[in-house]
Amino acid sequence: MAFLSEIIGRSVTDLDGRSVGKLKDVVVRPWADFPHPFIEAVEVESKGKTRILPFAAVAALLSPVIPLKYRSDEIPGFDLKEDDVLLSRDVLDQQIIDTDGARVVRVNDVELVRVNGTIYVSNVDVSWVGIMRRMGLVGLAHFLAGHIKQKGIAWDDVELMRRDQFMQLRVPAEKLHELHPADLADIVADLNKLESGQLLDKLDVSHLADTLEEVEPDFQKEIIEHMPDEKVADVLEEMEPDEAADLLADLPEGRKQDLLALMEKEDADDIRKLLAYPEDSAGGIMTTEYAFIHPNLTASEAIKELRGMADEVETMFYVYVVDTEEHLMGAFSLNNLIFAAPGQMVSEFMSKHLITVNLTDDQETVAQTVAKYDLLAVPVVDEQNHLHGIVTADDALDKIIPTAWKKRLPRFYR
Amino acid sequence: MSNNLFNRGFFPRYWKRILIFLSVFGPATITAMADNDAGGVATYSIAGARLGYPILFPLVIITILLGVTQEMGMRLTVITRKGLGDLIREKFGVRAAMFMFGALIIANFGTLVTELSAVKTTAAMLNIPALPAVIVIVVVSFVLIVRGNYKITQSLMLFACLFFMAYIFSAIKARPDWSLAVSNLFYPHGVEFTPQYTRDFLLIGMGVLGTTITPWGQFFISSFAFDKKIEKGKVNYSQLEAYWGAFLTDFFSFFMIVATAAALFVNHIPLVSGEGAAIAIQPFAGKLAGTLFAVGILNAGFMGLVVVSLSTAYAFAEFFGVSGSLDDSFKKSKTFYILFGGQMLIAAVIAMFGGISLFQIAVLTQTINAVALPLVFYYLIKLTNDKGLMGEFANNKFQKYFSITCTIFIVVASVSTVAISIYQAVKV
Repeated sequence: MAFLSEIIGRSVTDLDGRSVGKLKDVVVRPWADFPHPFIEAVEVESKGKTRILPFAAVAALLSPVIPLKYRSDEIPGFDLKEDDVLLSRDVLDQQIIDTDGARVVRVNDVELVRVNGTIYVSNVDVSWVGIMRRMGLVGLAHFLAGHIKQKGIAWDDVELMRRDQFMQLRVPAEKLHELHPADLADIVADLNKLESGQLLDKLDVSHLADTLEEVEPDFQKEIIEHMPDEKVADVLEEMEPDEAADLLADLPEGRKQDLLALMEKEDADDIRKLLAYPEDSAGGIMTTEYAFIHPNLTASEAIKELRGMADEVETMFYVYVVDTEEHLMGAFSLNNLIFAAPGQMVSEFMSKHLITVNLTDDQETVAQTVAKYDLLAVPVVDEQNHLHGIVTADDALDKIIPTAWKKRLPRFYR
Repeated sequence: MSNNLFNRGFFPRYWKRILIFLSVFGPATITAMADNDAGGVATYSIAGARLGYPILFPLVIITILLGVTQEMGMRLTVITRKGLGDLIREKFGVRAAMFMFGALIIANFGTLVTELSAVKTTAAMLNIPALPAVIVIVVVSFVLIVRGNYKITQSLMLFACLFFMAYIFSAIKARPDWSLAVSNLFYPHGVEFTPQYTRDFLLIGMGVLGTTITPWGQFFISSFAFDKKIEKGKVNYSQLEAYWGAFLTDFFSFFMIVATAAALFVNHIPLVSGEGAAIAIQPFAGKLAGTLFAVGILNAGFMGLVVVSLSTAYAFAEFFGVSGSLDDSFKKSKTFYILFGGQMLIAAVIAMFGGISLFQIAVLTQTINAVALPLVFYYLIKLTNDKGLMGEFANNKFQKYFSITCTIFIVVASVSTVAISIYQAVKV
């Protein structure tokens, strides 16, 4: 195991032992299918001039003096490619995204490891031990390294930013896609407005929608402020209607109407309906994405019907039973459905005594209802018992429990 | 009527510009006003009392120098979207970062002790018990920064700027010779330029400059602008704010000097400590003027305390890559907030119970600043010259040479500030 900071600056000699300069940098080339890139070439500086030699020309890189396999006039060259990473120039002292810890950190050193004659980049050192080593306090660094747990970040978890183009991601953010939207939201909040915009640009629409749902409303607004309308409309379609409605409600009237016009009619209509109710009423926080079914089906027909809804309804806590005029007649949980005999009618196993809230009930009442009856979601009806939507437990509790606390609760409802 | 005006297209455009300016407004004004911290007020008071109106003359030069240097820091951050600390670490490496941080934390610490000592002395003049006053100021600052966000902090700091108006009233109450004061801005006159006076004039003039342009000021404007997240497209508004901030600072400095010049210099009252000005001017300008002067010092101490502590905490976050933003929770930016509060706490203990000579602390602070300033400007100019970094916003030839000239001037001044302190020590 060696560190980049230790080998940079060591002198490089040719086959005859004559000095050809000092080691300035090492080049690695990221491979898509292998997590740890290896050193492909080295940059040597001599009298202000630099040249790049292939790693194959180096006899031993991790030694106090670096000998080459060639005479100084026979050293082969190496062509840099656009994607090549120079570890000292592009990584050392720069900020990276640690996708494992979901944070932006500064690199103090890079750890190298030799396996069968090839030198791989293993970890990125972001610890104080790394700073000590860089300051020349190698002895102290060794001492500390023995006593403090090293906080290396595996190269696999590192997302680099492009040199001099701030916060532009080098690879098309594959690692970011594996992050939980809540973690991604944390990273986005670490970056500033424009940079986070660039980062979000790399995400696909559904991932972007999930991430937007996780960030604070003010920040949501800022993020979409500079996005083209078409893209925002696509994202809004992907978001839960209630979240999308909340976001739209905060926008200037003109932009709101433009965006609604660009959305697919069905999604736009759902959102328009939600926008009509006050923000802190049951109607304002409900979602129109829920599973419903007619009473005259058998259990097996119901299962088939529900499968067909999979695309539109993300979460199915309860299935609501409505008649042709959308009167709420009853509801059942998926447990009820699975335990029922295949031929049993829905109207027989559904529960008819439902807890409901009214469209105009305020959020406080909804939250208390949800908490009192231990519900995952509560249906929202009007005076004539027409079903308009449901309020999920997390949305009901949103205003009552600060977001920070909510995030600590287990996500059983997701 | 107003609709007609709007339709002509004049007001909407005008308004839009004002609104954009207000949206970037804050960092430069706060940094510049904080340069008139408790130590700054003390220096200006001494300058006015000993030298009278002619010491107003350097103000114009100071305004230009402050404006030019602040503008560079502001432009650098808005264009690169990184703080000065970030860029020093990335472009000049970890040793440069470590050295700058070491210099900054020690010098800032000295400044904090000075601020709190001024608060302590001034509180006693206002018949406020000193210990509670210092505790209240430290606790309020800490709660403000930890619980508040960028916006709240900025608003409160801008509100604190209003208290500098106290100096305008103090100056008016002192019944100065306004035409003599204003004309002295353009050329120093109205006194007998004995060799003794000229020497004092040069030394104190340099000292005034040295307390106004500081390393922490350069770091803070950059960090604060970064935390405000100003967009690149608004850079010219931010540049304008940098000059405006410099002007505003020296606008108030003008009144500080006028107040003490009119009350003390004219009546040949010697002034030993800067805070003493609040009491010394009372017989000539009235009790109210003295009280206002003291309130001004308390407020300057509070602003300096927050801004200087923040500049250390921001610089740490930038140099060593931990998260540090006023918009972050305590949990997320723990190191940042602890560093912010820790410095204040230790400085408060030293100021209250330390029994350390304030004079020694001032000399230490000024010496470190004098060493660190050339380096800060070296990095700042080098970074703003870098076309790869700044693109079309890199320094042009004029900016380059002008800023180098300014820097040399500032460095000479800050070295002289050290000299003046030692010179005073010898004299006393």
